[in-house]
Amino acid sequence: MIPEDRLPVSMEDLEKYFKKHLGDALTDFKREEFKKGLKGRAIKVIWMKVDREKFLFAIKTIANIQIPHLSVTSGSDMGDFVELIYHFHVNYGYPGEETSINLKVHLPKSDLTIPTITDMIPGALTTEREKQEFLGITVLGIPDSRRLWLDENYPKDRYPWRWDETGMEGCSRYVHDPAEATQKPISEKPRGGDRDE
Amino acid sequence: MNSDNTYEVPIGPIHPALKEPFLIKFKIDGERIVGAEAHPGMNHRGIEFMGMHRNPYKVIPLSERICGICSIVHQHMYVTAVEHAAGIEPTNRARYIRVIMAELERIHSHVLWAGVAAHEIGFDTHLHFTWMIREKVMDLLEYITGNRVNYAMWTFGGVNRDIPKRMYPKIEATLKYYEELYGKLEEIFLGDPSIRLRTIGVGVLTKEDALRLCGVGPTVRASGVRKDVRIDQPYAAYGDLDLEYQLPSLYGYGDTGDIFSKTLVRLKELVQSIDIIRQCLDQMPDESINSEPKMAATLNKLKKADGEGIGRIEAPRGEAFHYVRLKGGKEELDCWKVRASTYNNLATYAPMFMGEQIADIPIIAACIDPCIGCMDRAEIVDVNTGKRREYHHEELHRLSVKKTRDLLGGVER
Repeated sequence: MIPEDRLPVSMEDLEKYFKKHLGDALTDFKREEFKKGLKGRAIKVIWMKVDREKFLFAIKTIANIQIPHLSVTSGSDMGDFVELIYHFHVNYGYPGEETSINLKVHLPKSDLTIPTITDMIPGALTTEREKQEFLGITVLGIPDSRRLWLDENYPKDRYPWRWDETGMEGCSRYVHDPAEATQKPISEKPRGGDRDE
Repeated sequence: MNSDNTYEVPIGPIHPALKEPFLIKFKIDGERIVGAEAHPGMNHRGIEFMGMHRNPYKVIPLSERICGICSIVHQHMYVTAVEHAAGIEPTNRARYIRVIMAELERIHSHVLWAGVAAHEIGFDTHLHFTWMIREKVMDLLEYITGNRVNYAMWTFGGVNRDIPKRMYPKIEATLKYYEELYGKLEEIFLGDPSIRLRTIGVGVLTKEDALRLCGVGPTVRASGVRKDVRIDQPYAAYGDLDLEYQLPSLYGYGDTGDIFSKTLVRLKELVQSIDIIRQCLDQMPDESINSEPKMAATLNKLKKADGEGIGRIEAPRGEAFHYVRLKGGKEELDCWKVRASTYNNLATYAPMFMGEQIADIPIIAACIDPCIGCMDRAEIVDVNTGKRREYHHEELHRLSVKKTRDLLGGVER
């Protein structure tokens, strides 16, 4: 952990720090600073992509700066691969200095697994469980792999944010279309009831 | 579970009075809570999925309807994220109007919360009082936008309606109204001995837990965590204004992270919001309210835009976040991720409930200001005998009220 008197870390130092520790595994590094308001105080954003092999090390590198604030992980189906973006924030507690670090990692469709980060950031559990059920990825070592948002009756092999054959196609009914409205929904089981069976 | 004599108590998921059905399962040993687990998802409407099938303009009203109370929060973040992705700059006047609207909403959200918290511990007079004074700010929001909720104020490049000079006196009158009432609120919520008994030392969230669990907003500021997006990463016009992290230690109290500190932080933020709106009215530059007045041209620009952006603001409940990706040539959003404040604060429930009593469930559940807070029914299953016993919301509420009265020495109010 960087001692508190060396915080906040500037954007230039962050770039040097990540490039030094992650080396070739780090790609697409982008620094953005855009000014807001009459006084033109800047908002600082970093985008970067890391190889999946070095993913855990990259999280450790970020966690060494300050106890990282993980806003959320966003994910999307990009065709051949699934992209996950971990939205971290460091330098909080210093007015105007907080920096967003958006860490991207690509998972090929042939191997949709990513190690858990809950051992370093316990607050990541909610978002990891969400990614599992919405994108069909597997988080290795997740302490609680149950579904969080989706109903138990939702088909097990369908994922709402996927655009391929495992996506939502056929799961939604267009009630305005008489031909479709008569079709039975995929789930035959009545909704509700005890979620704990 | 048979061996350690604990009960499992599910609380939730449905109550018609609130917009978010929600379930928390408690493990109870006698009167003590030894485990708590949140089960959200009863109201997952797939809004992100819907957004990914619409053009950016159509998503603005959709995003506004994610939450019934913080209508401003999600449209603010969504619009900011798209502006970031497409490189659109709103005008400075629009930035100030956005701040004024956001702070007015913070006032109404915090006043509403104070009423709910008072109700949960059995002070319905306070509930009616706070909800009565909340009407003033709702009236003002209606005066400015034409609506009490879902203000339809945000658009790409700025806002839809101006706040002209002729509106200033009414805004000032409302601010003054809250300023005068603030003393009374403080007396009720911070001075009343029975409220102090129910809130001091209850539902404690330590600073360490707050940081590790990535908690946000007043929930963690009460534990002494210096996190406030308005100051840390000043969006809109917040960079021009004078703000201070509202921590209990700023006012001579300890950063204990109990419900008393959370109440204190929210009340102080009320005063802060009044101050922010005044600063905005003073400094607001005189210019156009929208840098992209032609909707068709902007839509065309957004269709061609290729990029990604984040929108991050301090909602009344804490930091909230949107991620948007636009793909060149595609009219619909390519990716949209919404994260509300309660999403991160869910994890903080477990340490806060630990070791507390069943009668404290309503107030602790309400203290993070979730978009729930109403306990419809609770069911206790005795795992030893298999007997089931249901606690309805009223019964839980009665237990909570009884605890307050017991603390007052059995005095019937």
